Amino acid sequence: MAKYIYHKEDSRHHEYNDWLDSKKTFSFADYYNPKRMNFGALRVFNDDILQAGKGFGRHPHDNMEIISIPLDGSLIHKDNLGNEQVVTAGEIQVMSTGSGVFHSEYNHEQTAKTRFLQIWIYPSALNVTPKYTKLQLNKDAFQNQFSAFIAPTADVHTAAVQQKAWMSLGIFNSTREFEYQVKQSGNGAYVYVMNGSIEIDGHQLSTGDALGITDTNAFSGKINSPEAEILVTDVPMTF
Amino acid sequence: MTDKLSLHLLAIGYHPEIMQVLHRLMNSHSGWHGTIALSLEEGLQQLTEYPYDGVLLGVGVTPEDEAIIRAAIEKQELFTRIIRHYGGGSGLLENEVRAEFENLQQQ
Repeated sequence: MAKYIYHKEDSRHHEYNDWLDSKKTFSFADYYNPKRMNFGALRVFNDDILQAGKGFGRHPHDNMEIISIPLDGSLIHKDNLGNEQVVTAGEIQVMSTGSGVFHSEYNHEQTAKTRFLQIWIYPSALNVTPKYTKLQLNKDAFQNQFSAFIAPTADVHTAAVQQKAWMSLGIFNSTREFEYQVKQSGNGAYVYVMNGSIEIDGHQLSTGDALGITDTNAFSGKINSPEAEILVTDVPMTF
Repeated sequence: MTDKLSLHLLAIGYHPEIMQVLHRLMNSHSGWHGTIALSLEEGLQQLTEYPYDGVLLGVGVTPEDEAIIRAAIEKQELFTRIIRHYGGGSGLLENEVRAEFENLQQQ
């Protein structure tokens, strides 16, 4: 029988300063809540807004899969692997940080804010060779259905992470029902409403709300708003 | 709250530049006293010289290395907690340490 974890939009930890406005679903940095540590292998789900030209200076990472999804604006990424990329809304970047990487991440916009999702997933193996990927999202693939853009192996439409994890997006343009098949036995699905209103097994979700679903191979729901964008992170619950 | 705890932490990892950052982060935290070891041998040696409260296993430390460290701690009958540090920077460090030691306080 399916189990649910409901994370209301306003239950996220909200902190801001003169350069960063951040809503954190799970404990991160100075925010510590033992009840909000992770959803299986999904460890970080931050909704960040960077002021124009501001960002994170050079700092290290290792042994974490880090996915950045700009929602508005663009980021400029530089790392010690030699990558220097601008990542704009409609694109994503993935860092498999493995045995270690240093990078910086700034808002590339000089007069506007950039909003992006910063998502960290525990890797299935330690100390792998670091890798950077930038991917243009194929928006057509997400129309009125869920389609993966993150997967354990890369193809033309997906970037790879070092974990049995998938991320899928669905962009719906009418009220309708939907179904989602969990990608692998033992995985759970973390459903985040980027925009719109939906219902899953009696749970009403609006923009910014999330529902973690475990112990099932599939679930169905209903789009209740004329438009909706739904992000599903499908991760092992034990790893 | 670990702010109120005095913790002596040993971080073992094999990427010198990342470990320098970890060293700085540990010692900038109120109440924490951090030492780093850049090799398994150095880490094992440190464990014989000081009864650390916790060992952070950082970049490069393999599951096999972890087993050796765990065995050394058990052999010396130390109460040192072993914590796998992920992410390499400040994002998860405080969370990982607090989760370990605040759980311990509640037991």
